[in-house]
Amino acid sequence: MSSLALWGRASRRGRGVLRRSFVIWVKVAVSRALIRVIAMYGDPLWIVVNVGGPMLTSLALAFLYMLAGLSSLTGFAILGGGMVAYWGNVLWSMASQLNWDKRSGMLYLYIASPAPLTALLIGMSLGGILGTLPSSIAVLIIGALLFKPPFTPPTITVALVFMLTLVALYGMGIALSSLYLILGRESEEINEALYEPISFLSGIYFPSIGRFSPLPLAIQAIASLIPLTLGMDALRRTLFYAEGLAELWPNISALAAMAAASILIGLRTLSFIERRGRETGDILVGMK
Amino acid sequence: MANVVAENLTRVFETKSGRLLALDSVSFEVQTGEVFGLLGPNGAGKTTLIRILTTLLLPTYGRALVGGFDVVKEAKKVRSIIGFSSSSERVGFDFVTARRNLWFFSQLYGTPTGEANRRIEELAALLEFQDQLDRKLYTLTTGYRQRLNIARAFINDPQVVFFDEPTNGMDVFSAKKVRELFVKEAKTNSRTIFLATHNMFEAEEVCDRVAIIDRGRILAIDSPENLKSSLSKPVVLFETDIAGASISDPTRLDGVVGGTIKVDNENETAKIRVILRDEDFLERVLQLLEKRGIRVFNYQRIEPTLEDVFISLVGAGFAERERGIEA
Repeated sequence: MSSLALWGRASRRGRGVLRRSFVIWVKVAVSRALIRVIAMYGDPLWIVVNVGGPMLTSLALAFLYMLAGLSSLTGFAILGGGMVAYWGNVLWSMASQLNWDKRSGMLYLYIASPAPLTALLIGMSLGGILGTLPSSIAVLIIGALLFKPPFTPPTITVALVFMLTLVALYGMGIALSSLYLILGRESEEINEALYEPISFLSGIYFPSIGRFSPLPLAIQAIASLIPLTLGMDALRRTLFYAEGLAELWPNISALAAMAAASILIGLRTLSFIERRGRETGDILVGMK
Repeated sequence: MANVVAENLTRVFETKSGRLLALDSVSFEVQTGEVFGLLGPNGAGKTTLIRILTTLLLPTYGRALVGGFDVVKEAKKVRSIIGFSSSSERVGFDFVTARRNLWFFSQLYGTPTGEANRRIEELAALLEFQDQLDRKLYTLTTGYRQRLNIARAFINDPQVVFFDEPTNGMDVFSAKKVRELFVKEAKTNSRTIFLATHNMFEAEEVCDRVAIIDRGRILAIDSPENLKSSLSKPVVLFETDIAGASISDPTRLDGVVGGTIKVDNENETAKIRVILRDEDFLERVLQLLEKRGIRVFNYQRIEPTLEDVFISLVGAGFAERERGIEA
């Protein structure tokens, strides 16, 4: 057989392997997303906590703005109510997931199967986003009907900023998931410690950066390192002040860079964790 | 054809208290269609060996092939042809039905949904939980959850299936179903079933061959019948009063190779099971017990079990070994 024919056969085999890997990747991501959505809505308590909680907080804050004579700012509180669930989702579902999977024994099964961890985590992110979307929309609709905040109709910029914010946030979740796997149970305390300060710094219910921010410049600079801060700021400016791509490009570029960096870091650390876990025996499965 | 090959597999763990040799130069081969048992007390190295063969751990030295693929260099290929189930793991997602859980696990292997659904029905029928398939996981009893866990290990139509203590804590009926499935899958579908267990009855009932493992080393490999018949020494069971419990180590009795003691506090009796060096030592042991003030109600020579084979090899039973390991 000629070398050309051999090369052709090897190339076809290589494409076959690639195709099969791609099919598995997609199937794993889609099934994980679907399971996440089903599991979220199969637990009635989850609906109460994830829809009811943010809604009550954002409505209370909107009432405060209204009573203080700042009706034009009620939209900030309602938008915050719509976005806060994603932040909770990233911390408690994404970042903590592999650690919980390890403790329940599910991580073994993932590692011992051909399923790529990246597909599982991305599927979980998609499921988290899809599962959180209805509660987020419910908060926005009820808030808008009750307070009628002045806002400009959503544009392509809003969609772009929203998507980039989610990608950056869930990328952060992927990066944190590897770290949490090493930390074990301590990660829950870190979540508790991170949740409120980051919710505050990122200005979920009030502008924490920019001209309306009550925070000192140094704190604003630190807050700007959080993707949620930049995303919330950009969403507020486009929805309530009709700013477009020309004004928001710094936020959009920074969000895109953060999204790329966190996903890259997340993927690298995942592959490091898997290799290290097989070497030491104490990260993935716990030595017995 | 050998489906699992281990050559001088060694695994050392670095622990806070120093180096722990969990596996020590383990070598064996398991054939296609064979049910192979790894029998040993807790802490013997069974789980470590299974974790290496399922690509969860790297060996420190040595080599292992599963389905002809190297577990270190070709981990992805190994993962696509194996199934794995451990009694210590959770089956899946509580708020999702049993059917959907099994489907999810089939997707980890890229199985087409139609084929996955057919296998789910087939496995549920074999393990008799068809009526539970559309119930959410958290509503299932422990027995059904465990059966589901076993079904999950077969969902990808694997060439080799590894089980770590599969029937641990399982009710008698479920355990029977699972053992029947192991034999059927090995003989009818030519799968290799690799079973780590400390359940002697299970090993005797389903395994074509058994490897006895202790402290990371394989002490013997053969069929359960051959292992038992290789034990030429007599096994004798003494039923005594509660004073028999005062013997802390039966091997210290003159003429005894090894043994176990089971105390029945309720009836204030003890059962001392010993392997004698030879028949002539029976009188000697009886005299020793009498000298210690232990009343012997009854004694009889009994058929050896796999635990007796283990005792003859290491001088202690599983329980004694586990206590020693824990200490």
